[in-house]
Amino acid sequence: MAQRDVASESCRALPLDAESRLFWWLRATIAWETLRSMVVGARLRVALVALLSLVFWGSLYGLFCEGFTFLDSIHAEVISLVFNAFFSSLMLMLVFSTAILLYGSMYCSREARLLLTLPARAEAIFAHKFQEALWFSSWGFVLLGSPMLVAYGVVRHAPWTYYALMLPFMIAFVVIPATVGGILCMSLVAWLGRIRLYAIVGAAVIAVVGLAWVGWMLVRPEPGAATSAAWFEKMFLKLSVTEQKFLPSWWLSTGLIEAARRGTRRGAGWAALMESLRFLALLVSNGMLLQVVAAWLARGTYRRGYSRLASGAPARRQQCREWWCDELLSNAGSSAGRPLRLLLVKDFRLFRRDIAQWSQFVIFFGLLGIYFLNLRSFHYNDAYASLISFLNLAVSGLILSTFTTRFIFPLISLEGRRFWILGLLPIHRDQIVLSKFIFAVVGSAPACCGLVLLSDLMLGVSWRLIAVHEFCCLVLCAGLSGIAVGFGALMPDLRESSSAKISSGFGGTLCLVVSSLFIMVVVLVAALPVHIGSVVQAVRGMPIQTGIIGWLGGGWGMAASLLLVGAIGIVGTMGPLRMGLRAFRRLEP
Amino acid sequence: MIEFDHITRFYGAKPAVSDVTLAIPRGELFALLGPNGAGKTTTIKMLVGLLQPSHGAVRVCGRDVVKDPRGAHVHLGYVPDEPMLYDKLTGREFLRFIADMFGMPRHVGGRNIDREIENFELGDFADELTESYSLGMKQRLVFAASLLHDPAVLVLDEPMVGLDPRSVRIVKDLIKARTHEGMTVFMSTHTLAMAEELADRVGIMVRGNLRFLGTIGELRGQMALETTSLEHLYLQITAAPAYDGSRNDR
Repeated sequence: MAQRDVASESCRALPLDAESRLFWWLRATIAWETLRSMVVGARLRVALVALLSLVFWGSLYGLFCEGFTFLDSIHAEVISLVFNAFFSSLMLMLVFSTAILLYGSMYCSREARLLLTLPARAEAIFAHKFQEALWFSSWGFVLLGSPMLVAYGVVRHAPWTYYALMLPFMIAFVVIPATVGGILCMSLVAWLGRIRLYAIVGAAVIAVVGLAWVGWMLVRPEPGAATSAAWFEKMFLKLSVTEQKFLPSWWLSTGLIEAARRGTRRGAGWAALMESLRFLALLVSNGMLLQVVAAWLARGTYRRGYSRLASGAPARRQQCREWWCDELLSNAGSSAGRPLRLLLVKDFRLFRRDIAQWSQFVIFFGLLGIYFLNLRSFHYNDAYASLISFLNLAVSGLILSTFTTRFIFPLISLEGRRFWILGLLPIHRDQIVLSKFIFAVVGSAPACCGLVLLSDLMLGVSWRLIAVHEFCCLVLCAGLSGIAVGFGALMPDLRESSSAKISSGFGGTLCLVVSSLFIMVVVLVAALPVHIGSVVQAVRGMPIQTGIIGWLGGGWGMAASLLLVGAIGIVGTMGPLRMGLRAFRRLEP
Repeated sequence: MIEFDHITRFYGAKPAVSDVTLAIPRGELFALLGPNGAGKTTTIKMLVGLLQPSHGAVRVCGRDVVKDPRGAHVHLGYVPDEPMLYDKLTGREFLRFIADMFGMPRHVGGRNIDREIENFELGDFADELTESYSLGMKQRLVFAASLLHDPAVLVLDEPMVGLDPRSVRIVKDLIKARTHEGMTVFMSTHTLAMAEELADRVGIMVRGNLRFLGTIGELRGQMALETTSLEHLYLQITAAPAYDGSRNDR
């Protein structure tokens, strides 16, 4: 027998640095190829994202410039408090976002399954996934933090060294909370295997709610005290809880403030720079120490944790009971409409059983509800109340549009993958598309209309305005559902099984942009006569009451605007829906 | 080459694999059969280090998979039931990554990559991104990757899923040739004909227990049914409440 040398003599244990280099090569190759295919295949999307990011960055920069100039003029010390509050909040968010990202990529991804069957060190796999998670969790920090820090430097006329140190400071800082998140994730999985994701998500939710509560306690208005010296004193006192010297956020803000200091006497600038570098060294050394701890933990627990996590797999099998409303909807009405109703029951059932869908719905609309509930605490005049009520209507619409883009838009694409089931059923294809539309409208309208009603009641606006808002809200729900379903049917991605990836493609981006435009047009058309009416009332007796302006601000103007909103709603709903229906009839899966 | 030493694995309180002891020598092709949920995939995951046994030990070439995973993995090649590839790498880049991960010197890695590309007829699409591959193409690439470092032990979980008849023939011929040269193959399959054609020994697993272990001839002998097909024997064993064939461990 010709014996091949099968004992793997050609293999050698790869040193740790070579393993790390190999993972770097892997990420660089994948990133480059992803970027190339995006630039080649989705130029509009890339250009749109770049443009919106620039606009966002520029707006934030302008806002921070104004803010720092104002604060500098009244109380310069408050900037340190603002920095500390901002960075400590972000620090907490980075801990949990990195923990959740690492949980997904280290324990639930198919890549982890591949890497664990290769002769790779557990700590090298952790480092690979950690760097990936660090990027995903901290780009938002850079996008939010950089305009603030640049604006601070400009307002304070900081030396060039401040700008040179800004990025190293930010990178050194984000490593610390991200590593803590990694340690938290691995520890939970290794020692609390059973509660795993629920523990992390539960802790994250508690942290977010806690943070929102602390934020509210800090900034809640106190009657008669706003902007007075006493109010500022109280604010300083409340924000000073974030100024703890053991917190990396304090090291970061103090280091940056020192770096921005321009000395008035000889040598003071140099001393400030040295002080700043000292804080940078503190951040770097602590980050490195935590990395050593995380690597040690990964070496000891990653494989065990991965294995332990699989222990509960069959326990997840659960029997799902039917809800009485499913039975009711299935059997109510004529037999001709039954297929449509059955499709609706199926979609509602899937929605109920997909925690990602309803939890995001509850979180987004719940937070909005908390904000609306607290509107009564502020004191507005009628004009402001009306303005804020329309802004709240727009915000509700925008949140709904992110939801319809994320979850409704991909529905047709996901249905396309199961088309062999639906294609064999005795139903018309139009019914599939229409069932998605009805599902979206029925699911979104009660929540949105309820929230807008809550906002109006808290603001104390007139019943006439409430009726206008409710009508607009219904138009928004129908329109946004029509856009999401129509675009979803027009541009389905039948090969993709992840709804997140489908919604982040070109079709999803276009759907979001069109939805935003639709919201802006509807809200502007409805708001215009109301605000012209306010102006007309304010200048009663002046010639402005006559002519087109007077007509617009009166009852006829309001009626005309509502008719126009209705017409825009019909076009916005039926246009994309009809295009989607036509495309779906011709679809060849 | 492969040793399962009284391994048990629990999912919660339920044992998925119960006290399995099995040794597979160098150059043997072993097929693990059993109905869905019998514990085959759990056994394979313990063999490749994805799961750790609740009790007992798994050794590959004398290396404990839990205590020395890297030492064991150097000797292992694994073809999972669902191929995992990086969408944004080409087939050749993926093979390069695997060769580098096994610490193969550049010239040896390059030579073996060319060899496996030729063996699995990947030449036409090796330089295309794997996101454009069909299931069969992906499976062939995973096979090529698993054999790149000439492993002493090849583990196959439902290896023929998605392969066309020509690819199935290529894989069968390669497996036969490699086992003839000394490689040990541990294969889980539902295709009884393939087990009958390729396997030196078969194990039949039912509800986490090894109900039978031996050659097809021994199975026929024990069942006293000389002419019965493997399918018939398999159905009899997996249907029986407690067939006592596991005493044949060697």
